[in-house]
Formats: sequence, structure tokens, C-alpha cells
Amino acid sequence: MSDVTKGRISPDVAASRVAAGLAARRSKEKRFQLYGKIAIGIALAFLVTLFVSIFSKGIPGFFQHYVTLEVTLDRAKLDPAGDLSVQSLYDGDARGVIRKALYEATGASGRSGRKAAGKIISGGAEQRLREAVLNDPSILDTTQSMTFAVDDDVDSFLRGFIKRETPEKDRRINDRMIGYIDTLTEQGLISFQFSDYLIFGSASRNAEMAGIFGALIGSILTLAVCLVLSFPMGVATAVYLEEFAPKNRVTELIEININNLAAVPSVVFGILGLAIFIGIFGMPRSIPLIGGVVLALMTLPTIIISSRAAIRAVPPSIRDAALGVGASRMQTMLHHVVPLAMPGMLTGTIIGMAQALGETAPLLMIGMVAFIVDVPGSVTDPGTVLPVQIFMWADFAERMFVLKTSAAIMVLLAFLILMNAAAIIIRKKLERRW
Amino acid sequence: MNSADQSHNFATAGLPAETVGDVHVDHPRMTARNVDVFYGDKQAIDNVTLDIGEKQVISFIGPSGCGKSTFLRCLNRMNDTIDICRITGEIALDGQNIYDPKIDVVPLRARVGMVFQKPNPFPKSIFDNVAYGPRIHGIATSKDELNDIVESSLERAGLWNEVKDRLHQPGTGLSGGQQQRLCIARAIAVSPEVILMDEPCSALDPIATAKIEELIAELSSEYTIVIVTHSMQQAARVSQRTAYFHLGKLVEVGNTDQIFTNPQHEMTNNYITGRFG
Repeated sequence: MSDVTKGRISPDVAASRVAAGLAARRSKEKRFQLYGKIAIGIALAFLVTLFVSIFSKGIPGFFQHYVTLEVTLDRAKLDPAGDLSVQSLYDGDARGVIRKALYEATGASGRSGRKAAGKIISGGAEQRLREAVLNDPSILDTTQSMTFAVDDDVDSFLRGFIKRETPEKDRRINDRMIGYIDTLTEQGLISFQFSDYLIFGSASRNAEMAGIFGALIGSILTLAVCLVLSFPMGVATAVYLEEFAPKNRVTELIEININNLAAVPSVVFGILGLAIFIGIFGMPRSIPLIGGVVLALMTLPTIIISSRAAIRAVPPSIRDAALGVGASRMQTMLHHVVPLAMPGMLTGTIIGMAQALGETAPLLMIGMVAFIVDVPGSVTDPGTVLPVQIFMWADFAERMFVLKTSAAIMVLLAFLILMNAAAIIIRKKLERRW
Repeated sequence: MNSADQSHNFATAGLPAETVGDVHVDHPRMTARNVDVFYGDKQAIDNVTLDIGEKQVISFIGPSGCGKSTFLRCLNRMNDTIDICRITGEIALDGQNIYDPKIDVVPLRARVGMVFQKPNPFPKSIFDNVAYGPRIHGIATSKDELNDIVESSLERAGLWNEVKDRLHQPGTGLSGGQQQRLCIARAIAVSPEVILMDEPCSALDPIATAKIEELIAELSSEYTIVIVTHSMQQAARVSQRTAYFHLGKLVEVGNTDQIFTNPQHEMTNNYITGRFG
């Protein structure tokens, strides 16, 4: 009798016991969900703080103050040789022409007055004027209304970072300059515009002229080298390891090393690049070619690991089908497995590229941190990249560099978001169901 | 012997030392002699000797895990893709040992085609699915010839009328039964001599199954067909000869009528009457 009933619990008792534990189970579940929500909330709060901080500084960084002047383009002064050559324009007195217009607009006179007025305008104004003349020589010997950036200190004053109330000794612009700025403002000659220097300018010591164009081109060249090297190599490695390599000690060792490589701090790759490419092979410093090679080394493990996962995700039935009609292993790979794994491979590659785009440390090691004004024209021209440019700007104290740093961070973020979005779109588009 | 270390001891007691029935036929297309297959240390096939008659349908039946699919996959060396798989003995196609090191598996698999358990069309168009084999083997010499091969293969697979207007739509968009017939069309497009079918109807509904069975009957006039099936009715309907496998051994082989009406071995009898398996 006891044998039969032992271990048997009547349905009523079982139901009541289940009911008794139910409340605890539910509250446990609720609590667990709450933990999750709190975690997400904290993460979101950090993200929002980050974005607010970057955007609040970065958006004003996309704009700067300009002054519009009526410039009399006296040919004799601007083009002394009269042949419109670059040399002749550089020999000419563009600075004097601009200053003259400035003195007229501000009414500056006397030595100290003229000196103060001259400081209002950016040092880059002359270059602007020369470019305008080169583009359209017919403007010579006429009077044109031209817009030039103001000096970064003047810009800071106009933004209110430099206060009028501060004693004259303690601020970077003196009372006379403030007077001229006020004159210009009253005439409506000062404008707050989208900063073309930021987008089309290159590295500069003058904050108002500094821009990211050179760094952006450097980034694109570096990434191009990185992609050309790492994508075919990564995919080929993944295909070989996954499909052809014999499973033995050697391939196991290779596998472990690839996985370890993914965890190596990026600066180590920089040291490697410095020691091997610059030290042993004697290649020049600061060039996107070496930057790309170093980043390719860093990106390879990411691409290999994601490509292998993508290959493994192709159902074996597809391989069977191809082998079953007599395709060789290579044909099976190239005709079926690789195309089906391609979305995963591309996703991994784009994510690897996005990592490479944001990488700074290894590029510092190979000298891409140099101050280079020229935009690199090829992968062997010295250059820098966006994150390194941001790193350099963050070092400067000028208010305008702070703003431009944030603006450059926004551009970098935009590119990263764009690349990640591309990864998602490619995955969604090419995804096949079987 | 080897089977003694297997777990299902209760069923091994009655295994015969030699296959019951006549393993030989007058006109064999493929011959297997003393074939053993090992997965690592585990023996999956134990000393199987069997002839596969030309333009005949032979079905392999037996409980799950009895080695019938393993043996089938030995016939076109699909087991080569499994690293730990080792095969001894001899399997010959038209008198030539297919495990000879000089034999290339690519032409072998073109001669011994295969249809799998789950329909596995390539995620490509219907046309490309059928044209894939002829393309990689260079069978068609012109575009017209390729078109003809695709059409006749689909026709012989009984699919032409259903798909002729949508040849360039993906093969994966067809129904399960249509997909399996597409796979059969793909297999016959390379003009094989032997077609291996590994439970071709197990994923299909009864109507699709009936169509495939009809198709097998038609194809048997041109091809040698080996079919693995879990359905004894199917074996009885489509095949001329039946082989019963149990725990890696070929227990009994004979004409289908005889196997189902008058099995010689007790285990065969137990299996076909549904007492175990």
C-alpha cells in the first residue's frame, strides 16, 4: 500500500503547492526584468550624456564668424609680374589689399589702430583672395564684396567666450579691436556661417583655418589599403581553415593564434609596424600605406573569425547537394558556400573596417600624428587620419579647437554609423533563406 | 564479434553470420565486397557484400541507425567528406573499384548521382539548379543543348509542366514535393548511371510521395536506383529487390515479393511485421 502511494502527490495538493510558489516566481521574474531595465537605463543615460556633450559643442563647431569686405582688387598690387602665375600672386601684396579694405570698413587709422584692425582677420584671408583671383582673373581691377574668416580670438569674443568686462590686460583682444568689431557688427558685415574651413581645410595652427579634409582623405586612403589587404586575405584564410585544412596540431595552433590576435592591444600592432616596415624595410613614416597595413593586421582576425562563422552557418545540405552532382570541393566552395556566406563575411568586414576607422594608437606609433598641411594625394604621401586629428586638436587650448574637435568627432561618428548601417543593410539585403 | 560491443545487445542475438538470400545478380552495375565502415572506433557497417543490378530498383530497409544510409553514401564516396570515416573492402562500379586511389571522385559522382532526405535545391533559379551539373562538367556544348538538357531533365522528373513558366524563379520557392523532384531533375541532368536516394520522401506529404514513387518507377527503365526508405510499403511498391540491414549487418536480401511475403530470416520477419524497429 505504502509502496503504491509513495512519491505520488494528489493533483489537488500539487496544484496548491504550485500556487503557493507562484507569487515568488512572478516577483523573481519581475525583479529580473527590472534589473535589465535599470542596466539599459544607465547605459542610455551615459549615451545621452555623451551625445549631448558632443552635439552641444560640436554643432556650433560647424559654424564660424566671417567678415564681408569691399575689396578693391588692384592688379598692380596683387599681380606685380602681370602673368597671373602663382609665384606672381605670392609676390603680390594680397595682405595689403585686404587690410586696406579692412581699414576703410573699420575706420582704423594710426599705427596702433591699424595693427589692431589687422588682427581681426584670419591669416588665411590672403590665400582666399589669391584663390579667388586664380579662379576668375576678370575680377582684377574691380571692387568685389568678399567674405573672410575672422581670427579665432575674435570669433571667441563674438561667441561670448571672451568677455568685454574682463580687464583689457587679461584678454586676448584689446579695447581698440573691440571697438572695430563693434563697428563692423553695426554695419552688418559680420556673419555667422557654416564653416567651409572645417570641411575643406587641412591641419593648421590657426584654429579658424583648421579643417578635417586632409585627415578625412588620409582615413579613406588608409582604410582602402586596409580593405584591399585584409578582405581577400581574411576570406581566403577562413575558407582554407574551414574547408580544406587538415585538423591537426598545426591548424589548431594557427586557430588559437588567430583568436589571440583579435585580443592583442592595437598599439602593439603599431610597434610591429614601426619595427618592421619603418625599421627594417626603411619605408617612410606617416604614410597611409603603412597605416593601412598595420590596420589590416589588426582587422584580419575580426574578418577571419566572422567569415568562418558565416561559412559554418551555411547548411551542410547545400554542400551535399553540390558534391552530390559531382562538384569538386573548390567548386562547392566558390559556387555555393562562399556566396551564401558572403553577407556574414561582409558584415564582419565592415565592422572590422569601422574599428579600423576609429583606431588611433597604432597610427601614432608609425608617425601618422605629424603636422601635415597638405592633403595626401596617394597612399605614399604623408598624412593623418580623423581620430588622430581629433587627438591632436584635443591638445590645443584655443576655444575654437575645442569646438572643432567636437565637430570632427561628430563627423567620425557619422562615418561609423554609416558603416554600421551599411553592414545591417547588406545583411538584410543579401540574407537568403533555405 | 564486432557487433558484440554495440549497445543493443538484445537485438544482436539473432544476427546471422552470413547474409541470408542471394547477394548476387546476373547483371550487376555496382558490386560491394566485404565492406566495413568505421566512424573513428565505432563500426557502422560490418562485412557487407551486395550486388546492385543494372536498371533495377533496390531498396534498403532497416531500423534507424542500422547503417543503410552509411552504406548508400559509400556508393558515391559521399562519406569522404567525413574525416573520421574509414572504409575497407571493395566497391566497384562496372567492375572498377571506386576506392582505387587513382579514381577521381568528381566523375564518379557524376556517374552515381544522389538525392537527399531533405530537398536541398540551391538558392538559385530553377533553371540554374538543373543546369549546374551539366555546366560544371561541361556536358552541354552549346546554350541550346543546355536548354534542352534542362527541359528534358525537368520533364523526366515530372516537373516541366509545373515550372516551365517560371524557370528563372528561385528553386527554393517551390513546394517540398516539387523541390524534391527538382533535386531529382538536377541529379539526372548529368546523365548518371546510378541514382542513390536517401529517404527521398521522408519530408513529403502522401500526394508528393506518390508522385516521387511514380517517378522512380519510370526512371528505373533508364537508371539503376538505390533507395533507402523507412516505409516498407514504399519499398514493396517501388523496388524489385530489397535488402534488410540491422546494426551494420546486411541480414537478408532478396526479391521484394519474397522478402515481404516469405522472409527467410527471423529478424527480417520481425521487422516487416512491425514487431521491432
